[in-house]
Amino acid sequence: MGIDVFEIGVNFVKMIAIFLMMVQIVPLLVWVERRGSAYIQNRLGPNRVGPLGLMQLAADAVKFLTKEEFVPKRGYPFLFYAAPVVAMVPAALAFGAIPLSSPVMVEAFEWMGQHWGPYSFKFQGYEIGIGIVFVLGVSSLAAYGVLLAGYGSANKYALYGALRASAQTISYELAMGLSIVGVILLFNSFNFAEIVGAQSAPMNFMLFGKKVELAFLPNWGIFYQPLGAVLLFSAMFAEANRLPFDLPEAEGELVAGYHTEYSGFKFNMFFIGEYGHMLVASALMVTFFFGGYTLWPWLTPETVAKWFTGMSLTQTSLLTALVLHGVFLAKVVLFLWIFIWVRWTLPRFRYDQLMDLGWRTMLPWALFNTILTAVVILIMRHPWGA
Amino acid sequence: MMMEAIAFYMLAGFLIFFSYKVISVPNPLHSALYLVLTMLGLASAFFNLGAQFIAGVQVIVYAGAVMVLFVMVLMLFDLKTEIRSFSRGLISGALKVMSAALIAGLALGGARSSVTVLDAPAGAAVPGDVTRQLGILLYTKYLFAFEILGILLLAVAVGVVAVSRMKGGTHARH
Repeated sequence: MGIDVFEIGVNFVKMIAIFLMMVQIVPLLVWVERRGSAYIQNRLGPNRVGPLGLMQLAADAVKFLTKEEFVPKRGYPFLFYAAPVVAMVPAALAFGAIPLSSPVMVEAFEWMGQHWGPYSFKFQGYEIGIGIVFVLGVSSLAAYGVLLAGYGSANKYALYGALRASAQTISYELAMGLSIVGVILLFNSFNFAEIVGAQSAPMNFMLFGKKVELAFLPNWGIFYQPLGAVLLFSAMFAEANRLPFDLPEAEGELVAGYHTEYSGFKFNMFFIGEYGHMLVASALMVTFFFGGYTLWPWLTPETVAKWFTGMSLTQTSLLTALVLHGVFLAKVVLFLWIFIWVRWTLPRFRYDQLMDLGWRTMLPWALFNTILTAVVILIMRHPWGA
Repeated sequence: MMMEAIAFYMLAGFLIFFSYKVISVPNPLHSALYLVLTMLGLASAFFNLGAQFIAGVQVIVYAGAVMVLFVMVLMLFDLKTEIRSFSRGLISGALKVMSAALIAGLALGGARSSVTVLDAPAGAAVPGDVTRQLGILLYTKYLFAFEILGILLLAVAVGVVAVSRMKGGTHARH
């Protein structure tokens, strides 16, 4: 975690701040979702409490906190209580591993009669060398939240919802994992920071062993992996149980699916988990395919740092990180809006269509994409066996 | 070093507790959930040893896919009779623990007599580079074993499909 008290303390605070960031974005997203759905359906939406209905969030929070707590008598209380936590933790862990901006350098300084530093703090919860594998692994655990909820609440609708959810999660995880392989091959790394670094440059690739540079385009993954991007984004909808993949909570058939028996804050935690998954999905899309926190040629760590020449290294790197974090957030918000847009545009799949899409359409295409990428990269980088 | 040792012994304690619970709880579903915790603990142990990639794959494959399937299938069964028929007696519990200890002892003895502890190789991989080295080893030195394992898994998959399509299987049409 760090070598001295200052570093450990900052890292700890950072981790909590990033977790709170994820939690705090949820009420805002709920507001955007309700107002956005109203906009799409030509309604007004909640606009009574506060300006633009923004205080509705606070009212909802009070409602969640004061609702009666209820545990089904014949269920398993421990599993029932554990499920919302298990649903929320994977999203938080995954979000913590994604770099949100360029690192902040802190110069050596003197404080309380001691020498401190220099330090370099990553703008993310924690850095893990195999970031992609970690995020995939952790988000695959989210299925347990739904399973525990369905089993612990001793309700047949909840159980049906849980079964559907787990089958869906397992089916789409394969396509999701395989759709990223192309990006890993392309940028030659499991590490998010390296992938983002490779994308903050003009487009450059090897054409039969010769290096080609196209200065008018950034080196984003989407230009090399359009199929992978589409597959990943669709699989992410299924992982987050969002429409058109929200069969686990299909209200026409299953009351409310796996969270039928939940109320109050426990229900809210499922909510945070779902929106957290949306956030992680958007962040992953941005990191893999849309240049992460950089926007070549205007906003890269090098160009932004030039805006703040004349300041100390600490100030420069901090301001740069904040500007680039804004870039990252702007991109993520775009994807979050697409999530909401799709929800109010497409109808729900039938269950056999869902399975068909996962196993017979997306999985073969993801495999094809992987093999094609591998072959093309081999030929382009090492033509004639060089 | 100190922190690593503390982390290791805590993990080891959790692992032993969870794996004991796997064999001792009456409800098969709870047993499977404890197995999930055991898998996660194992992944943390790998991580603690610096084998990050193995830890990640352990979580994805075992905790994230295999055990989700187990739990899902167990939820489909009516487990009342299984739970009732599970003996909770002291003697049978002692027998279970003893047989588990016996198997563990046999495995440990077999491992200790057949494997010699190697010295750390000179060009040990730097932590961030373990995955690359693992991949290179898998596709050069251990290619044959790797491919044979793949073929074995393929044979299993085909076999499962064949068995399930036989008369009386889950997909029987008459």
